[in-house]
Order: sequence, then C-alpha cells, then structure tokens
Amino acid sequence: MSAVIIYGLGLLYSIFVWRRGFQYNNWTSYTLISIAFVMHTIALTSRGFSLQQCPVNNLYEATTFILWTISLSSLICGLWPRLRYIGVFTAPLLFSVGVFAMMPGLDPAYGDEPNFINGWSSLHAALIMLGYGAFGLSAITGSMFLTQDRNLKFHRASAIFSVLPSIQRLEKLITRSLMLGLILLTAGLTIGAIFLDLPDGVSFWNDSKVIWSLLVLGFYLTLLIAHIKFDQRGRRYAWMAIIIFGFVIFTFWGTNLLSSIHNPK
Amino acid sequence: MPVTITGLSHHSSPVELRERFAFTEAQIVEALYQIRKKGIAEEAMILSTCNRVEIYAVSKNNNKSFSQELSQFLCEFHNIREKPGDALYAFNDSHSIDHLFRVSCGIDSMVLGETEILGQLKQSYKLALEQKATGPILNRIFQKAFNVAKLVRTKTQIQRGSISVSSVAVELAESIFDSLESQQVLVIGAGDTSEKAARAIKSRGASSILVSNRSHEKAMSLASELQGKAINFDTWEQEFKTIDIIISSTSAPHYVLKRDKLQTMLKQRGNSPLLIIDIAVPRDIDPECNQVENVYVYNIDDLQTIASQYLNQRKADLANCERLIIKKRDEILIDLKPYHRQPSLILNKQQTTS
Repeated sequence: MSAVIIYGLGLLYSIFVWRRGFQYNNWTSYTLISIAFVMHTIALTSRGFSLQQCPVNNLYEATTFILWTISLSSLICGLWPRLRYIGVFTAPLLFSVGVFAMMPGLDPAYGDEPNFINGWSSLHAALIMLGYGAFGLSAITGSMFLTQDRNLKFHRASAIFSVLPSIQRLEKLITRSLMLGLILLTAGLTIGAIFLDLPDGVSFWNDSKVIWSLLVLGFYLTLLIAHIKFDQRGRRYAWMAIIIFGFVIFTFWGTNLLSSIHNPK
Repeated sequence: MPVTITGLSHHSSPVELRERFAFTEAQIVEALYQIRKKGIAEEAMILSTCNRVEIYAVSKNNNKSFSQELSQFLCEFHNIREKPGDALYAFNDSHSIDHLFRVSCGIDSMVLGETEILGQLKQSYKLALEQKATGPILNRIFQKAFNVAKLVRTKTQIQRGSISVSSVAVELAESIFDSLESQQVLVIGAGDTSEKAARAIKSRGASSILVSNRSHEKAMSLASELQGKAINFDTWEQEFKTIDIIISSTSAPHYVLKRDKLQTMLKQRGNSPLLIIDIAVPRDIDPECNQVENVYVYNIDDLQTIASQYLNQRKADLANCERLIIKKRDEILIDLKPYHRQPSLILNKQQTTS
C-alpha cells in the first residue's frame, strides 16, 4: 500500500516534469521509485516467506510481481544518467496498475494450503511475470521514444535540452526488452507445458489463459520479426510496443478469471 | 583585500588594442619573473586569451598605487607608450574576487557561459604555479574559482546547450543517433555554414563524410579538408541508402529534395532515421519531408531559434549564477581574513616555503 502511495507521488512528480521538460539530471523521480521499490520488495519478500514460495499465486500477487519487475528494471536502467528520467515514465504505470491490483477480490485468502502445486509451478509463473515486466519496460521506453520523436518533429528545443537518450538508443532498448520478454515468456510457457500436471478433463488448448498467452507471444514475436526483418521502425514500432502491452494489462485479469487451469473453481 | 586585477578585455577595448597587450607563453614566464624581481607583487598570475589580458597579483602595498604599478608594468612590458585610458581596468578588494569568479564561470565572456575560458584559466594558473609565482592567497582564490565554476556548471543552466547553429546541429544529431562515429554524413553544397556544421559533426566522431557540389573542384577541396570523399553532384542520390545525416546548403533556386522523391529513396535504407540540416536560403529541402516518418528536417530558422532559446535560458539563469558567486566570494573573504589583517603573513609564509 505504502509503495503504491509513493508510486503515486512519483506520478505527481512526473506531471511536473512533463510540464517543465526533462532538463535537469536530478534524482527525485529515481529516489521516489527506489523508496517505493524497497517497500514493494519487503512486502513481496514477507509474503514469499510466509508462503515458502515465490508469491505469484493469485491475480494480486501476479500483478504486484510484474510491477516489481518493472520497477527493478527501471531502477537498473536509471543508473545510466540519460535514462534517469525513466522513473517519470514508469511511475504512472506502476501507480495505476498498483491501485488496480489492490482491488478487493484479486487477493482472496488462502486456505490451509496455497493453490500452487510444486516448484515448477512457481518457476513457470515467475518467469512469465518477469517476461511481462520486460514487455512493460519496452512500453515505457516506447513512450520515451514517442516523447523524443515528437519534440524532434516539432522542432522543440526540449528535444536537445532534455536529458533523454537518443531515439536510436531508445529503439534498441525497446528491441532488447522485447527479446528478453520473449525469452522469459517462452521459457515460462515451456516449463508450464512440460512439467505441470493438468487436472483431469482439462486441456491446454481449451484454456483461455494459455490461448491468451500464446496470442501475446505471437503479437510480440510478430512485432520483433517485423522490426528485424521488415524494417518496421520508429514511431510505429514504439506505438506497437505500447499498444500490445496495453492489451496485456487490460486483458490479463479477464483471461485469468476465465481460465479453468489458473482459476480453478 | 590584497588581490588586485589589472587588464583589459573585449568589454573595454577593441581587438586592435588587445592584441598589442597579448602575451605569448614565453612572455608570461618572463613577465612573472620581472614582476617578482622588481618587487611589484608577491604573487602573480597572467591570463592572456583572445578576449582578455589580465594580471592577477597580490601585494602588501596600497591597492590603488598597486594597480597603477601593474598598469604601468603592462604598458612598459609591451612597449606601449600612449596611455590606454579607460581600456585598462582594475579590480580591488572583493570586486577582484567577484571578477575572477565571473571569468571562471564564463559570465564575463563574449559568448555567455562558454567553457573554454575555464581551461585557459587553469592553464595560466598552472604556468604561474610552475614558475612558483603564486602563493597562499592566489592558490586559495584560484582553487575556489575552479570550484565555483564547477558548482555553477552543475547547479545552473548557464553553460548548457549550444548557442551556435553548427553546435545545435551536432546536438540534434546526438539526440537522434546513438553515436556519431558510425554515421555517414553527406554535405550538399560546399558553403561556409555547411562546412562549419560538418566540421562540428566530425569533431564529435563522424568518420565518413561525403561532399557533393555543382563545382566538383570545390567539393574535392572541402572533402580533402574534412578528410572525406567528393562525389558527383548528379550522383549523390545513389549514395543515399548509406547516408544518415544530410547538410544541405546549395544556391539552387528550387527544392533539391522533395517529399515523394525522399519517400522513394527511403525504401532503400531500411527506414533508419535521417537527419536533414537545411541551411540554404532559399531552402533546399521541401518542408513536407519532415512529415515523413523517421526523417527530421531542420532549416536555418529552426536551428537559430533553438540557439537563441539556449541563449535566453542562459541569460535567465544569470541571477542564480551571481547569487552563487556572491555566496562563494563571502566564504573566501572569511578564509582570507588572516592575510588581510597581517600582510606580513604573506611574506613570512613565502619565505618559509622558499
């Protein structure tokens, strides 16, 4: 809760920076995200210890784990001075999705035993969540790209006043986070398909979450192939990274609730 | 306060006079030696740049007569018989510290906020230090001046951004490309401004420069100066697929590059970003080209607007710089109080060190 409040403060600061321009290489946004990240980590760790497993067993946990991954990766990227403002782009996402994750019903009380089956299940879920975190990072760098591109197109002095990275570097970052996300998602799905047992009478191919995950994998793979093989670059590429991640965020909960494997009655 | 500055700068004198007072490095060494030998000052440092010549000196003498002595020395050293009048100025007391700090921060420079002066100041100080011409007071003041310059650079906007068209072009290129080293530059039209812009981009690492001009000889001459390659004006389009930055300044009365032609050519180059700097008047590049994805077109007005915005930003931050300078000046004045009360301390310290 306190982490989300600080992400909220980060959001307020983001509005201020957007209005003023990204001119000063300051640490305010980075510090706010760092403080929230520490709280976020404490909350996740304590839940993990209480469950003796990676805390990715319901929608609340899965969402907060994705947010934690995004927060961590933006802090790592922010160590590079020209990416220090990444927090300004990350905070709105962390706050809005964080508020959504705290909605009642997403975190039902566990019974005597949590509903995960074994270590593979945890690894499967954790890898997939890390993958979505990487996709989140690609959307964030995509929005940084669009900001810089717009400033350059409209000949705004802020394009060169700002301490944002070059658009070529941002494009590379989008690609690298997409690749990382794809690797993690593929690994997570593969582990799920090979090592996890299905309940009787349930098939992978009828499960909404599995179909949805493959669809997401297909979208990102198509985007990456279009970029590498067919020169889809620039604004269109950045927009697609944002749109696909938007699709992931908006449909994640719904498909999970409809899934007989991931949300057993 | 025992520090006095005497000299002349672009504020007080034209270049014709400044050049007569200018020192070479060897002359600085000689002048520093003479100042001490003649007993004019206990500590001295000489700064000689294209925009200013100043002697920074410390003496136990009365300030007014001391600055007159320094002015006289300056004229005598350069064999200048006529009186320079108001061209020579002198700063005493706390004003001398203010002046030094302003110089180190580039506030007193012809180009507001330029950073070259700090390097020149450091160089001159190093030379004086090597000649053992400085002492406890100048050492403290100069170290403080370098700190103040650093503080001003980090805390204010006075040294940020480019205020010349060619350096704005470089900054634009750096906002688009990851590194300029691997970028191919095409210069169309061998004019003065395009040459400056190409040189600026080359100074940041661009290794491959092509030059195309209606007169092939001119193209070859500029290409050899830029260590690039001259290409025929009629065939520059064939090189287009490898080009990342175009600097255009032909005297053509019509557009050299139109949107439909650009879109066709872009297909050859995998939609990678393209920066076009159009410094020609009338313009060489159809402004519609800026609408094309991954293409960024800047004309001379765009560049000048950015440069003047930078300058305004610097001017707006002048008050902040002055506040910082006054704060730091007051600190150093407190540090120097013992020397102010006991001028003999300077001599004693010097005798001990020598």
